[in-house]
Amino acid sequence: MRTKMATPSPAGPRTWLPGTLMVVPAVVLAAFVVIGGMVTALAQSLGLFPLVGPPSLTVAAYGAHAADLPVGIALSLAIATVSTVVACVVGFSAALIIVQGKWCGKLVAALGTLTIPVPHIVGAASISLLLADSGLLARLFNNGGQWPELVGGPWWIGVVAEYGWKESAFVALVVTGTLATRAVSYDETAALLGAGRLRRLRHILIPLSLPALTVSATIVFVYSLGSYEVAWLLGRAYPEPLPVMALRLFNAATLTSRPEAAAVAILTTVLSMAAVAASLAYLRRSALWR
Amino acid sequence: MIPGVSVEGLSKSFPGTRTPVLDNVNLTVEAGTCTALLGPSGAGKSTLLRAISGLETPDVGRVLVGGQDMAEVLPERRGMAMVQQRPLLFPHLNVLDNIAFAGTVRGVPKKAARADAAAFLELVQLEGFGRRPVTALSGGQAQRVAIARALAARPAVLLLDEPFSALDPELRAAMHELLAQLRRSVNPTVLLVTHDRSEAAAVAEKIALFSGGRMLQHDSVERMYSRPATLETSRLMGGANEIPGIVRDGYHHSVLGVLQLPGDTRQPPGPGVLLVRQESIEVGARNGIGILATVTGLRTLGPRRQISLDVAGALMLAEVPWGRALAPGDAVALSIPTSVLAVVAAPETARTFPDVGEEPQITGQGRNALASIEN
Repeated sequence: MRTKMATPSPAGPRTWLPGTLMVVPAVVLAAFVVIGGMVTALAQSLGLFPLVGPPSLTVAAYGAHAADLPVGIALSLAIATVSTVVACVVGFSAALIIVQGKWCGKLVAALGTLTIPVPHIVGAASISLLLADSGLLARLFNNGGQWPELVGGPWWIGVVAEYGWKESAFVALVVTGTLATRAVSYDETAALLGAGRLRRLRHILIPLSLPALTVSATIVFVYSLGSYEVAWLLGRAYPEPLPVMALRLFNAATLTSRPEAAAVAILTTVLSMAAVAASLAYLRRSALWR
Repeated sequence: MIPGVSVEGLSKSFPGTRTPVLDNVNLTVEAGTCTALLGPSGAGKSTLLRAISGLETPDVGRVLVGGQDMAEVLPERRGMAMVQQRPLLFPHLNVLDNIAFAGTVRGVPKKAARADAAAFLELVQLEGFGRRPVTALSGGQAQRVAIARALAARPAVLLLDEPFSALDPELRAAMHELLAQLRRSVNPTVLLVTHDRSEAAAVAEKIALFSGGRMLQHDSVERMYSRPATLETSRLMGGANEIPGIVRDGYHHSVLGVLQLPGDTRQPPGPGVLLVRQESIEVGARNGIGILATVTGLRTLGPRRQISLDVAGALMLAEVPWGRALAPGDAVALSIPTSVLAVVAAPETARTFPDVGEEPQITGQGRNALASIEN
């Protein structure tokens, strides 16, 4: 007679419990804010939480600015995409310098660390003081009033510069954290297998950094897409990026524009979630992430 | 043509250290041979390997490969490959693409590089593993892939930095055999860093022994064991028996009696310490011919036993196989062939080791006997 024995779980029956319990408070709080906020905004955009009058299910708020929304979406996506690319290129380059461990790497790490705690609104004010046509650089390189429209111009350069500067420091520190523990040993191994600097960058350092770069790029993209203050301070009055439009509608004297503000916010959230979903789908295909 | 490697007067210090990590190292490794860099941790072996590969810049001295000075040559252009204790397989590439890496970065078309890699995968007996992710390999398999990857780069010089130290004994023996097989088919010049004497003897033709950043001796494996140049070398090679005495006319006079020295002994007449490997002493019955001794202790060393002996006041160790009943207090006769004897300078020239006594072990009776010989 054979005795059937229970196979013990490799992790033990209750080893997951303490860890789960420890994250519960943070998860509950985050879920309350995120899910609660989204449900409220969704309900308000669908006319279920009107400031005046009876609730009535309608999608009218989504069509109220049908002419402006496509431009707003395109502009928001463009600002977020360009800012993310700039932040990633600058941040990754900074990370490569930092992991070399030389004096310039320490200097770049210090500059990056100092940049992180500066609030975006202070950063936006600084960029304005630096790049505007009445700013420091324009005065320093006085060229007879020919200073380009970097702030409030058609190319939103001031906005991209602010996001690129601030977020590149974030990308640099995240990628440095990933590369610091293994980049040097893999880099040396690749060098001894005959790979020159550029080959090592292409075949080793970029692939090794890609998961961290993807995660930080997604965070930068979603942040640049959803935050209003930099675009509001450094951008043009029209066309408006989505978060600036949502803020204007939310603060408008017309009480009926609250659902329209909520509709714009929901659209922004959908775009952000699509970006996160695409990013996770890409990461799942990556051998390093698995 | 496979080049040899020479190191001339190489010294290296790191900031914050008082003593140099490498101190005036001179070493010549002949083309196509394997030399083990042996020594305790912190002896400077790995730093020497990194200096040879170009990953460290020496403070003084130079590295020559095939007679060419490597000072201005980047690591990627030195024609070397290194396998370290950790396999360091690139985690974003599968097994085959790891091995094909050197070909890929040389600009070989991917298909051709992979076909070449498949041949090396077969050489390390891992055919069929090519499409696996490197995370799906065991430690031994990963190390085999690392060796295949290094060999696929067609290195003229293969640098092995304790590549087998994390493997279990059976796997290590298999890897030693694999390395011997690979050397027969590819034949690069090999430098192997290890702190394991058995591994050095199993894999290399020559051993370069390091301690405190200095190279103590570079010689064939047999001579490193049988003809250590100093007490320090003898102790690092595991030698246990040091008998003080006097060298006169090709003979060593000590408490063991008068023993004829091998013809290649270079020790000048005068005080000298006789070195006898514990594995070379034959322990027989008291009624046999030999040096009389008394067993003072027994210790099991796996398939062999270590016997502590009192030989006219000198405390010695011998290793014998199982099979003969021995107990403390037994009287035995020792037989020591002349060819296994070596003599080195007196102990005051030896460096101090924390776990080994400075003076050879000797009892009061032995000391009196030695005094009578010196007089």
